[in-house]
Amino acid sequence: MSVKEMPQNWEPKILVFACNWCTYAGADLAGLSRLQYPPNIRILRVPCSGRVNPQFVIRAFQRGVDGVLVAGCHPGDCHYVSGNYFTRRRYLLMQRLLQYVGVDPERFQARWISGSEGPKFQQVVTQITEEIRAMGPNRKLRDAQ
Amino acid sequence: MMKTILKAKLPEMLEQLAKEYKVLVPAKLEGVSRFAAYRENLELALDENVTMPPKDIFFPQTEEMYKFAAKDQSLEIEEIPQDEKLQVIFGVRSCDMKSIDCLDQVFLTKGFSDPFYQDKRDRSILIALSCVKPMESCFCTSMGIDPQKGQGADIQAYDLGEKLAFEGITERGQEVLNKVSGMFAEEDAAIPPMGEFNLTANVEGVPEKLKNMFDHSIWDDISRKCLNCSACAYVCPTCHCFDIASEVRGEDGVKIRCWDCCMFDEYTVMAGGHQPRPGKKERVRNRFLHKLRYFPERYNMLLCTGCGRCVVKCPVNLDITNVIKKIKEA
Amino acid sequence: MSEMTKKMQEIAREILVKGEAEVVIGWEKGTFWYLSPPAFIDKPEDVQRLVWDDFCHNNLSKYLVDLKNHEGKAAVFVKGCDSRAFNRLLQDKQIAREKVVLIGIPCPGLLDQDKAKELGKNSDLPKAQKCLDCQYPNPLVYDYYLGDKEALNEVAATKEAADYSDVAAIEAMSPDERYDFWTKQYDRCIRCYACRNVCPACSCRECVFDQTRVGWIGKANNSSENQFFALTRAMHVAGRCIECGECERACPMDIPIMLLNKKLVKDINELFGEYDAGIDIEGKLPLGHFDKNDPEEFM
Ligand code: SF4
Ligand code: SF4
Ligand code: SF4
Ligand code: SF4
Ligand code: SF4
Ligand code: SF4
Ligand code: FES
Repeated sequence: MSVKEMPQNWEPKILVFACNWCTYAGADLAGLSRLQYPPNIRILRVPCSGRVNPQFVIRAFQRGVDGVLVAGCHPGDCHYVSGNYFTRRRYLLMQRLLQYVGVDPERFQARWISGSEGPKFQQVVTQITEEIRAMGPNRKLRDAQ
Repeated sequence: MMKTILKAKLPEMLEQLAKEYKVLVPAKLEGVSRFAAYRENLELALDENVTMPPKDIFFPQTEEMYKFAAKDQSLEIEEIPQDEKLQVIFGVRSCDMKSIDCLDQVFLTKGFSDPFYQDKRDRSILIALSCVKPMESCFCTSMGIDPQKGQGADIQAYDLGEKLAFEGITERGQEVLNKVSGMFAEEDAAIPPMGEFNLTANVEGVPEKLKNMFDHSIWDDISRKCLNCSACAYVCPTCHCFDIASEVRGEDGVKIRCWDCCMFDEYTVMAGGHQPRPGKKERVRNRFLHKLRYFPERYNMLLCTGCGRCVVKCPVNLDITNVIKKIKEA
Repeated sequence: MSEMTKKMQEIAREILVKGEAEVVIGWEKGTFWYLSPPAFIDKPEDVQRLVWDDFCHNNLSKYLVDLKNHEGKAAVFVKGCDSRAFNRLLQDKQIAREKVVLIGIPCPGLLDQDKAKELGKNSDLPKAQKCLDCQYPNPLVYDYYLGDKEALNEVAATKEAADYSDVAAIEAMSPDERYDFWTKQYDRCIRCYACRNVCPACSCRECVFDQTRVGWIGKANNSSENQFFALTRAMHVAGRCIECGECERACPMDIPIMLLNKKLVKDINELFGEYDAGIDIEGKLPLGHFDKNDPEEFM
């Protein structure tokens, strides 16, 4: 979408699935450290990145988010030992499938962010927000309402 | 004397009608033939009957009934504005004309009138189109239908090969023809004889016989290969089951009604979880008893027009003519 | 009657007479010459209904799921793809091996039904795409085997690799073109679920698409819900799809479902190493395990 067509005052909405033990703690640390990050993200806390069902991601796009980030502990650090290894397989595949049906790669991303990586959390969500802001609202997979 | 027009001139005629009416025609769209609003360069599908029957013109797969909003403990209901335009539906084959009669029975008779259906039905002017050569899956004549005369048509069109002939039947139909009268030639035209049918069924006595066959072992045998999908029902011009659901987003919602099918679990499952039709046998039995017994009992007509769509589309070739044969032999 | 049809009928009769199984599941002639739908044979005198020809497409292993809670035994004819489906269901513990008698049939590759309907009886018909792509025309598991093993091994050895050019053609499009393409395909989906119900990789007792009241999917038929269905179905069969092509054949709206399945097969192979579903029943499913050295793109 060209910048001209962009609705006035539009702000991207980005859904972040954050695992409770690492990424959510990382987001908390970013807050405590007073690191500024864009207010465009909505954090949805999940017990583990492995909890994120592919249907959650599609549903988020249906209901109008402009981008989705799935984030969890670094490989090897999952608090349920192996949840994020499954997440990695699942979303390596799903990312390619989403692109195959036309979703722009920027709109669906996954990252490992630990509890001590407040600055990384800030940097990742800022970067995603800016990428998506430049692309404009997502219209793909969206329901009509 | 009949009003004739060269098939090559048909788009011109439809174009003309589209200025006054919404015109729906059989067309090939993204690989599937179905009725679609006429527009220039639309690929017409006149050689064979369409894959998707005209049912969804009157009874769409998903229909919004009304919108609602719940705010501050009050409920607001908003009606969905209906299209007001008259619609001309061109090219409906006899089998599908009969199916509209079946749907009319369900949605408009016995003291019930479904406003959503009625509105679309009342706004429709039907141009039936005669067949010359049946498809290999057609068996309408077996179901008592004349493939060259559409029941309930406002206008009957005849396929003459190079040309089409039109005959106004109702006043509304005549009016439509008058709008394009300049395009017709008046001539004596012989309607080509109907070709041979490949498929037949003998339904004589079947509804009566089925009265005592609810517990017959035939249903185990017939239903075994069924997959319990809904391909047969969703391509059938007469199947008319629906389900009503609400879609709610925050304070706003919309009531929708959507096609449903007796093959699905949710169709009969009860609030407490009891499933009176748990398996293939019960569901397949319901399908055929409905078509061949319950519907005739209630409305005095079969709920099958012999269009053959289910015969073609069923992934396991569960052929209704074969079911009828098995019932006869049982 | 073909040699193979004769053999099928003979063995079916033998199995029924000896009481090795209560029912034999095979194929019979359907309404049209290019249809050979499933047949369930319970009595020795009915075996003459069985046929083997170029159109025995239906994957019969799926029916074994219906017999899961059934006491007796069933005998079922399996082509290469059907035997993979059998293994797949076995791996998921959907069926018990000892309750099934498998009769293997070497498969020369079947003909394209749609083309048969279109071109007529006396024409040169192409093979079905799934059969051109098939790497396992010989049954992988069986109790009886009909046919010439030697000849079939040769066929298998000379099989060309599966052709992914159709997938590559879509990958080569721009994101918007791809979205357009798939939207058009799934806009005509009528959500009849034939593709799901015919599929041997779909065997959940309660399918997510039947959970409309719970809200997993809406009842409405529109682009968004249909795409939700398409993507979810594809993810659910990922790593489990045995490429029998039944979903696409069953689809009344001619949606190219195999283009999604093949994409997933291809990506699984590239990302996690070569894997063919339904070959090795001891091994783990690609999405059911992991490797610490899997590609890392999420740092
Ligand atoms: S049951 Fe089959 S043949 Fe009869 S009207 Fe329906 S689709 Fe046509
Ligand atoms: S079933 Fe009869 S009326 Fe319908 S298309 Fe075939 S020949 Fe024509
Ligand atoms: S009869 Fe055929 S189309 Fe109908 S539900 Fe059974 S398998 Fe599906
Ligand atoms: S996919 Fe393979 S085994 Fe299956 S029908 Fe085709 S060639 Fe035969
Ligand atoms: S078989 Fe085809 S039309 Fe039916 S649900 Fe599957 S994709 Fe949709
Ligand atoms: S997804 Fe299609 S090709 Fe794969 S196993 Fe299921 S029916 Fe066969
Ligand atoms: S607990 Fe953080 S990814 Fe599993």
